[in-house]
Amino acid sequence: MEKLLAELKEKIVEILNLPDVAPTDIRENEPLVGGPLGIDSIDVLEMVIMIEKDYGVVINNRELGAKVFATLRSLADYVQTHAAEPAS
Amino acid sequence: MTDSPVFIVSMGMISKLGSDSAESALALRHNHGRFTPLTLFDAGPDGPLPVAELTDLPVVSDPPRTHQLARLAADQAMAACIKPPEAIILGTTTGGMPATEIALEKGIDDPGAFRHHGVGTVAEDLARRYGCSGPLITLSTACASGATAIAVAAAMIRHKMVRRVLAGGADALCRLTYFGFKSLQVIDPAGARPLDRDRRGMSLGEGAAMLLLSDRPRSKDDLQLLGAGLSCDAHHPSTPHPEGAGALAAMQAALADAGLRPEQIDAINLHGTGTPDNDRAEALAVNALFDGSPPPLSSTKGFTGHTLGAAGALEAGIACLSIQNGVVPANAGTRTVDPALSLAPVASATSLSVGTVLSNSFGFGGNNAALVVGKPRVDRSGPGGSPARPLIVTGYACLSGSGRTAETLAALSARDTCRGCLSEPVICRDLNPRSVRRLKRLSKIALALAEELRQDVAESDRPQVISMGTGWGALSETSDFISRLQASGYQFPSPMDFIGSVHNAPAGQIAMLMAAKGANLTTSGGDYSFEQALMSADLVTRGSIAPALVMGADEAHATLSPLFDPSAAGQTSLSDGGGAILLRRGDTTDGVRIALAGYRSHRQPDAIEATIAGLGGANALNDRFGAILAGMPVAHRALAMEQLDRFVMQSGFSGPIIDFRPLTGEFATATAIAAVAGIHWVNTGTCAAGETGGHPMNLDGKGVLLLGLGRFITATLICAP
Repeated sequence: MEKLLAELKEKIVEILNLPDVAPTDIRENEPLVGGPLGIDSIDVLEMVIMIEKDYGVVINNRELGAKVFATLRSLADYVQTHAAEPAS
Repeated sequence: MTDSPVFIVSMGMISKLGSDSAESALALRHNHGRFTPLTLFDAGPDGPLPVAELTDLPVVSDPPRTHQLARLAADQAMAACIKPPEAIILGTTTGGMPATEIALEKGIDDPGAFRHHGVGTVAEDLARRYGCSGPLITLSTACASGATAIAVAAAMIRHKMVRRVLAGGADALCRLTYFGFKSLQVIDPAGARPLDRDRRGMSLGEGAAMLLLSDRPRSKDDLQLLGAGLSCDAHHPSTPHPEGAGALAAMQAALADAGLRPEQIDAINLHGTGTPDNDRAEALAVNALFDGSPPPLSSTKGFTGHTLGAAGALEAGIACLSIQNGVVPANAGTRTVDPALSLAPVASATSLSVGTVLSNSFGFGGNNAALVVGKPRVDRSGPGGSPARPLIVTGYACLSGSGRTAETLAALSARDTCRGCLSEPVICRDLNPRSVRRLKRLSKIALALAEELRQDVAESDRPQVISMGTGWGALSETSDFISRLQASGYQFPSPMDFIGSVHNAPAGQIAMLMAAKGANLTTSGGDYSFEQALMSADLVTRGSIAPALVMGADEAHATLSPLFDPSAAGQTSLSDGGGAILLRRGDTTDGVRIALAGYRSHRQPDAIEATIAGLGGANALNDRFGAILAGMPVAHRALAMEQLDRFVMQSGFSGPIIDFRPLTGEFATATAIAAVAGIHWVNTGTCAAGETGGHPMNLDGKGVLLLGLGRFITATLICAP
């Protein structure tokens, strides 16, 4: 889990091109979207694609996205739970 | 001087509703039409989503599908018309993209395969078809394009610039928009159900609608375009203002323009895409305008799908059908109306005497347009009155391969080259890194120009209206989106690149930077995109005091520029940049004045003579102008040289002629840099010398004429106070 959290932090900073955010600035239990990181709904969609591409986990509607991307931990939990599922 | 009325003398339309007006009217009366799974192209691993696809339309790539749709609609509108239209104003977002994306996937590197790529080529195709030799303007303001085109066209007639204009919108289904909107998760997998409690998004459609507008009716039953209103949210690149503030402003402006009170509107054709955000914001705006009791209303996108750039024109056409047939169409696809919206959409086609319809269109970039069509009003006395005062320059900025404004003007004034591409750090010097983190080259160039002006101008001169010309749009985002989409087998499109790829993304960014909530226009017509932006800004600011920012910018892209821009094709190195001019209405004594005085096709037999006549004749031209800036795109250089020779011969002009393209480099909106140089010279009273390194020449109080040559002949006046 710790490895996944660290990996997600790196990826988020990179794909969202967050200029003044270091991976360590992302707190696992703080709101990921709408807070001081400056991450918004468009970024969530970009992360959705990354999660599907890199982990094979599909988040195909906005309601689910809002829950999954609530915090970094909720994202990591969701990825860990669903990445193991066989492809349907 | 009173304004001319604007009659809708004929119209043509094609959509999922039907292949012409009669079929569409019948389908609307009988509530016909629903979506089917996409068949036009491979929908990728997730399988096809429901769309409003025209399955009877042959699948060919020359001309591209958008051009085909525009022709089908325009042929109907022009069927009973012997004379060509004097101008064509078209709204589209895809242009040649349906063919371009296929050619890119096949790895075709012959620029000839991309000759229909530019969004402006749709209007050019129609101009050739009907023999129109007047101005063409292509508005690419995302999903507001079609309505914006009609608004600009109506202004041309109102202000007596022309008497007969063909105006409308067209967009075909293509991979870019299909996968783009899919990546934004705004497509309803069950098919669009606007205003429904369970709505989950739009369904894409395709189609076109063209209206022939005239200052005089052809029959006593002809309807009128009574009013138009444009606004910008200046809030977010892709999400509407949560309270629908921009939508409300556009509707209010349209009603004011029509001289109507809300209770005089008989029906509303909603934008009503079916996305949770749009429908919520629009419902709030409609309820605010109509004080909680709006007239009968519906969204017709449950029939037609969202036809993007065509939607505003198609729905203006549907509004006409409503009035002509006395039917308010159903809000198709909806089962349970969302109680949170406090709207009661028409459930089934309803017979009703309708005299006026308000039609809404909103798009990315916060671009909003509202139109009012209706039966002719005898009591209408338009706002009209005195002719508009001239546009006075209050600020200017430019950017080129040699640097920002100071460096670029220094180079041009010494008749030195400013070719090349400026590095990103220099472009981004004054930009907030966080606010540009998602933006690529064109938006950054545009914002750099806007920021330079913003720092220099007084609060009262801050622009409300933004009008930006771009020949080729956001090439980096377009290229990145398509490459990643294709490389991932249509699986992993980038939502960020999609939002950034629309032509009006930069102007939307500027609106946010400047809090500019007036009309927000993006024009695109190859080498004449800047002239289109200037003309559009002039038209939408008549009778207003709102300061405007008029600009032109393009980005160089290593792969796409040589494919799309025939003048960039043979260049050993690419160039880009742009120019921005801040304007407000004033008196001729207030400052340097700029105006577009000519815009016609080179195919008009006396194009050069007519241009000279439009400038007041040879004597006036020599009295008024001390220098000419000549724009001769290298792809049409032989033609342009011939035109320039003819111009000099016919006018007897003996001052310096600055052939600016070899200095700025070859890109579509190099004209905008030249315009800024011309303004600077008139401001300082001296212009570039006759040759590189020579002494600057005194203008003796005269102005500079910016001449666009090649496939179109344009004349932009830059006059001293």
